Amino acid sequence: MIKGLLTTLREMFQQPVTIQYPEVKRPVRTRFKGRHVLKRYENGLEKCIGCSLCAAACPADAIFVESAENTDEERYSPGERYASTYEINMLRCIFCGFCEDACPTEAIVLGDNYELSFTDRHQSIYTKDMLLEPVPPGGKPTPQNTEPGKYTRSVPVMQDPQD
Amino acid sequence: MTLEKHGENRFVVPIGPQHPALKEPGHFEFVVDGEIVTGASVRLGYVHRGIEKGAEDRTWTQNLYLMERICGICSHIHATAFVQGVEKLAGVEAPPRARAIREIFAELERIHSHMLWLGVAAHEGGFDALFMYSWRDREVVMDMLEMLSGNRVHYSANLIGGVKYDLTPDMMDKIREGLNYLEERLAHYLDVVNNDETFIGRTRGIGTMTREQAQLLGAVGPTARASNFAYDVRVDAPYAAYAEFPVEMVVAQEGDLHARFVVRILETMESIRVLRRIFENMPESELVTRVPRRIPAGETISRVEAPRGELFYFIASGGGEKPERVKVRTPSLCNWGTVITLAVGHKLADMPMILAGIDPCFSCNDRLVMVKRNRQDPQVWTWADLRNYGIEYYR
Repeated sequence: MIKGLLTTLREMFQQPVTIQYPEVKRPVRTRFKGRHVLKRYENGLEKCIGCSLCAAACPADAIFVESAENTDEERYSPGERYASTYEINMLRCIFCGFCEDACPTEAIVLGDNYELSFTDRHQSIYTKDMLLEPVPPGGKPTPQNTEPGKYTRSVPVMQDPQD
Repeated sequence: MTLEKHGENRFVVPIGPQHPALKEPGHFEFVVDGEIVTGASVRLGYVHRGIEKGAEDRTWTQNLYLMERICGICSHIHATAFVQGVEKLAGVEAPPRARAIREIFAELERIHSHMLWLGVAAHEGGFDALFMYSWRDREVVMDMLEMLSGNRVHYSANLIGGVKYDLTPDMMDKIREGLNYLEERLAHYLDVVNNDETFIGRTRGIGTMTREQAQLLGAVGPTARASNFAYDVRVDAPYAAYAEFPVEMVVAQEGDLHARFVVRILETMESIRVLRRIFENMPESELVTRVPRRIPAGETISRVEAPRGELFYFIASGGGEKPERVKVRTPSLCNWGTVITLAVGHKLADMPMILAGIDPCFSCNDRLVMVKRNRQDPQVWTWADLRNYGIEYYR
């Protein structure tokens, strides 16, 4: 019994293992697969070129992409095409990360956000505005007016991704 | 497994499908004579999701993720069983490093599953302190899995022909650190399970199953091994990297609830030992081999040892992009027979412990049972009907 009480006493002075969740958030690991983020280049252009490879790869059929043509006056992404509609149904998404692997431009990345909640099924469809990351400092919002012949290459030169 | 006849002076206690004792739906009927149970029956299938049928409508890759979602706790092992069957059909073999990583995931999952069970079983026995402790320590292994794969529950580590995630030496060090802590804690739990008087009172001599019974009732996994029935797919038919990094089978003689606790805790320790061995001799190779998009026609079976026992897959391919039939036989389903038999003669208060003793997984029980009815029966739905109903319902 004294042994038991000693354990109780010892535990009393230890740090609690629980985290006060909404105020304090637990940091996620590097490989964590949270809500998708559509990335931009430093100049503000979208990385997504609307190729629909993610939609084809998705095992749960959660992604819907519709693409349209870029022009130099109204440029969203480098190359010929951009995604005019990009929707992910978060009720269907299983966070497997296959879209990330399929993407040729590293445009779609599973981010850190794990706070997904909605009160009705229509809200579960995340549109492009919700998924797209904010314009980085120094960049311009899309559509941009660009000089002709500058952004002809849709897939950039890349290194192997780290994690 | 229904009760044929209830006697005149018998009293039937129905439990479930919604009830406070177990967290998942299952209906039980216990016939009691005073406090003593004299007959038991179980009714399952409340969580039927039609996964096997759904598999026929999806490509091989999509099915990999669907199969992983059969169970939330043994998710990796389901995908492994499926992927091994498909690889066998396609005539490819995963590279050595991929196989080793599969084993790492499987063993981490086993640690996680057994610790979860330890908590649940202790909770059913009214020992909530152990429940809290073991679930707290389970966070350690969950964190490891999150670090490896990015997800805490459905790891999506398998690919057809290999695995997705590599292990860096840095990660191995972190896992080793966690394993050291877990081993220390497990030794403590083993001490508690073996020496705590109240706990022994609840477990020793309760639900004793002999070796013959285990064999007769088709028990699998730790439940059977606790009854001295030495059978473990990892040892008897090694898959993944179990031939290179073998595990030792843990067997107990007694066959009661206490033996099941001891077997599971020792198995967890064995997993830790094997993980350390793999980290020391991690093979170097590619992670994925090329697999054709269409899998050649044929049939195959694939067996693996899930944390709850032997998991069995039958896969038939018609040579297309989709499987023709996938049949899953889950370990919990095999173990229900033992519960019904063992319950007889025990007090009603022991029932939750006996139920929890087999580590029941209710998502394992969603297997399809065909009942032949006439065609006009309104309860018979076609796949297309069901789908339309679902779409209309949420419109």
